[in-house]
Amino acid sequence: MSPRPDSTANGRSRRIPVVAIVSAALLAFVAICALAQEIIAPKALEQDIYLGVVGGGVDGHLFGTDQLGRDILQLSLAGARSALAGPVVVAVGSMLIGFFLGTYAGYRGGIVDMLAGRYADLLLALPAVLLAIVVAGLVGRGYWVTVVVLIVLFSPSDVRLVRGAVIEQAPRPYIESARVLGIRPSRIMFRHIAPNIVPIVVANLLLNVAFALVALSSLSYLGLGVPPGAPDWGRQLADGRQLLGDNPLAAVVPGVLIILTATAVNLLGDWLSDLLDRRVVAR
Amino acid sequence: MTSDGSAAAGDGPMAAVDGSTAAMVAAPMLAVRDLRVASASGTIVAGLDLTVAPGETVAIVGESGSGKSMTVKALTGLLPEGVRATGRMELPGRAELAQGSSGLSGRAGLVEGRSGQAGRAAPTEEPAGPSEPTGRSRHAGSSGHVGSSGHVGSSGHVGSSGHVGSSGHAGSSGHAGPFGHAGPAGRSGREIDLAAQGTIWRDVRGSRIALLLQDPFTSLSPVHRCGEQIGWAISGRGRAERVARLLAEVGLPADVAEKYPFQLSGGMRQRVAIAAGLAADPDLLIADEPTTALDVTTQHEVLELIAGLQRERDMGLILITHDLRLARSRADRIMVMYAGRLVEEGPTALVMDAPAHPYTARLAACDPPITHRLPVLPTIPGSVPQPSSVGAECAFAARCAFAVDACRMAEPALAEVAEGHRAACLRPETAGLPVDVPPSPAETVPPPPAVAVPLPPAATVSSSPAETVPSSPAETVSPSPEHSGRGREAAASLFHAGEDQGIPASPLLSVEGLAKTFPGSAVPALDGVDLTIAAGETVAVVGESGSGKTTLARCVVGLERADTGRIDFHGTATGARRVQIVFQDPYSALNPGLTVGTSLAEALRAAGRPKSEVGELLELVGLPAAYARRRPRALSGGERQRVAIARALAPRADLLVCDESVSALDVSVQAQVLNLLADLRRRLGLTLLFITHDLAVARQIADRVYVMHHGRVVETGPVDSVLGAPAHEYTQRLLASIPAAD
Ligand SMILES: Nc1ncnc2c1ncn2[C@@H]1O[C@H](COP(=O)(O)OP(=O)(O)OP(=O)(O)O)[C@@H](O)[C@H]1O
Ligand code: SF4
Ligand SMILES: [Mg+2]
Repeated sequence: MSPRPDSTANGRSRRIPVVAIVSAALLAFVAICALAQEIIAPKALEQDIYLGVVGGGVDGHLFGTDQLGRDILQLSLAGARSALAGPVVVAVGSMLIGFFLGTYAGYRGGIVDMLAGRYADLLLALPAVLLAIVVAGLVGRGYWVTVVVLIVLFSPSDVRLVRGAVIEQAPRPYIESARVLGIRPSRIMFRHIAPNIVPIVVANLLLNVAFALVALSSLSYLGLGVPPGAPDWGRQLADGRQLLGDNPLAAVVPGVLIILTATAVNLLGDWLSDLLDRRVVAR
Repeated sequence: MTSDGSAAAGDGPMAAVDGSTAAMVAAPMLAVRDLRVASASGTIVAGLDLTVAPGETVAIVGESGSGKSMTVKALTGLLPEGVRATGRMELPGRAELAQGSSGLSGRAGLVEGRSGQAGRAAPTEEPAGPSEPTGRSRHAGSSGHVGSSGHVGSSGHVGSSGHVGSSGHAGSSGHAGPFGHAGPAGRSGREIDLAAQGTIWRDVRGSRIALLLQDPFTSLSPVHRCGEQIGWAISGRGRAERVARLLAEVGLPADVAEKYPFQLSGGMRQRVAIAAGLAADPDLLIADEPTTALDVTTQHEVLELIAGLQRERDMGLILITHDLRLARSRADRIMVMYAGRLVEEGPTALVMDAPAHPYTARLAACDPPITHRLPVLPTIPGSVPQPSSVGAECAFAARCAFAVDACRMAEPALAEVAEGHRAACLRPETAGLPVDVPPSPAETVPPPPAVAVPLPPAATVSSSPAETVPSSPAETVSPSPEHSGRGREAAASLFHAGEDQGIPASPLLSVEGLAKTFPGSAVPALDGVDLTIAAGETVAVVGESGSGKTTLARCVVGLERADTGRIDFHGTATGARRVQIVFQDPYSALNPGLTVGTSLAEALRAAGRPKSEVGELLELVGLPAAYARRRPRALSGGERQRVAIARALAPRADLLVCDESVSALDVSVQAQVLNLLADLRRRLGLTLLFITHDLAVARQIADRVYVMHHGRVVETGPVDSVLGAPAHEYTQRLLASIPAAD
């Protein structure tokens, strides 16, 4: 028997597809805007009340202004921060819960598994937006309150996903050998199983970023997320609604940005999980 | 590239076939010319001709990676992405054959020597008639024009118009073309460019060629009922009746139609797959290791079934297998592949009893006999090279005991050694010579290039007195005889440091009344099993799949908990030092993400041993210590299994359980690993519980054997008496199912 050549490690699969490059470039741009908001969009909140709402191209406002006379371009660039920070925290937070709980439940089974299952069922049964509204009513509204609510709401599907992947790995001979060798369960879980479920974790992480972006934007749109006036694409979309006659770009630009960013994250996630998957599978 | 070799291979014998003999020959139903398969990383199949006559069974044998599966995938248009084929395939319909060769419609004799030979010779042969323009164009894609450019013109032949030239053939007397007798152009027969892609294959697969795979789970859809799947290839009305008839034909009850594949046993699933394959009434059935996943008795039944269906339908059968015994018992002709090349072909009796290629002879020798025990199994040193790494030389030269300088100058062409029997060897007369000299512990194998399997010195049968130890590449540490001897002794002594060497043969493990029923299952997996193993003993547990062997093993190592019964270890060890296990599949035995060294170090640490023993463990299983840095990906199956064994040895457990640990390996590798286990047993006083479905393997390794059936032990005793004079009816049945016993 000779080892199979790692056919996926060479040849055509080495090339990074254009889609992935474009997605990554777009996300990098959004990330830079989010990090360097003060430099890139210093005048985002500057109101030009004397100007009022104008359409695209007027007075150096490429995309026009909103009802407060703020430049749509600057405002949208500034909105990158809330478009990225919250969703990333939501995805990472819920995946952390999912990863630990799911791994533990999947590997150990028994009562832990049952409790985790119940927890997931319960949360999946709750209507997300309603819950967010209730929590906002109780705790007060705010971007980060919404983020925490979304973490809790997103976690059950991550728990299930990880649990399933772990259950699939657990009966493999190399895991069973480790058990017979008396290797500590925590080590088996995090040293042996975890690396082999990374592809699915990463893919889902990015998927969740996209979902959370849409969810957060929707909640902002409903007035539950960011405070009024803060730069946020969902908020802009809501405010832009009334300006459709004067400056449709006030709504279109943030809308397009939400779609583009969410799609880019998704596509990148697909590609990345494919790549990682092949790495893990290649043997 | 080896186009020269294969072109020459075609040239050699054709002169021997003159027009008149060829004209008498029955028409092959499949003729493949100069099949080449390549991927980005190089050649996979380097030029192969193949014919199958109606009703004939051709076995393709060879070790893993020799290109067997790629060959059949190329013939069915199922090559994986990034892998391309070139070559031509003629596939006339059966009706057409019957018409064209009306005088030869009787099938008798089709499969015998001459017909097979001429059929093979024909594909590479240009028509004998000097003035045959059409015939020439028809052969445009053959060996003279390797590469896709040669095939561009041939696409015109794809489809039913493919026989433009054949009417010319039919007219010319005494031509040698395989399908010259085929009727006028426009009939359903066709010549297919193997480089073609797309829809043409749907037709070929749908109605002409059916493919049966090793694991029916991969070919059957999990979400459709079996009846539905069988019906997919049947169009029009009367589908339900035909499905019912097919099910009856493959010996399944009618209610299977309503079941899903997962509700069936392995043997039943394979029957469903056969029924689905036969639904479109194919001319040719290609079975790629159809029974490898099945136990002996089921294997026997499925093969009988296929043989019966083949007779009824006069179907051609290509049987891909690594099991020489099976090929011998089923095939009319055998083709032996090695590193993507055809090295020998001929009638079964000739190839098996008078092999003309040393590889065939060595391979056959590796197969453990069922009738007696060999002190050391013959092995083939080294391992199969990557097809792409073979230059202008005999691909087997590095491992051949008879290699001479000429073998390394050019690739030997297939040449006729007897009627219909051809081998690609410069010294075919040597193949039958014995190479087995008694093994001496001082012997080493030439350390092969990075991918090869270095053998444990003691387990190696040297193949040549003149064998030398070439200087090793930097990475493979080839222990010099003395050094390796010391290393092994040191390693062995580790295992007994402070232990009593002369342990009396008291029971180490006793199992009493073990019973287990899996939830949701009606029948118990274990139904009151008693078993004892004395220290230093090797005990085999044999039986069909589902007999409870694996459940027993898993209970012993603690991976499964029995419902009732006792398992007592009488040694002083606890935990991981009591018992370890080696599983079947070498490919999932190791964590793909960790290096060999990390895996072993982890096992050592869990057992409270120093990490520094990693090198000794590797040496113990015959691997260079440098392998510690490799990842499983860079190891062959045999090497992985060695690492798995090394890992199981790390805690120095009293008992080693091997659950089908050699059944996923090629015979030559299996022999190496069996020798290794026997050697370890000798040196370390290891106690083995060996689970296997292969009685011949049990014969080689075990002192005593337990035969299990339906969760019970039906017979037990010394291996010689149980397998030599079986008392229980079930044991007799098991023995009778072994192919060679046919
Ligand atoms: N998808 C692929 N891409 C490129 N090369 C491949 C691919 N699959 C297999 N190969 C290579 O093709 C060669 C032949 O493989 P093939 O599966 O035909 O062997 P085989 O004789 O059927 O072996 P086995 O007995 O293990 O089934 C091997 O060297 C293998 O590494
Ligand atoms: S004798 Fe020469 S040609 Fe024949 S198998 Fe050995 S090396 Fe190859
Ligand atoms: Mg195969």
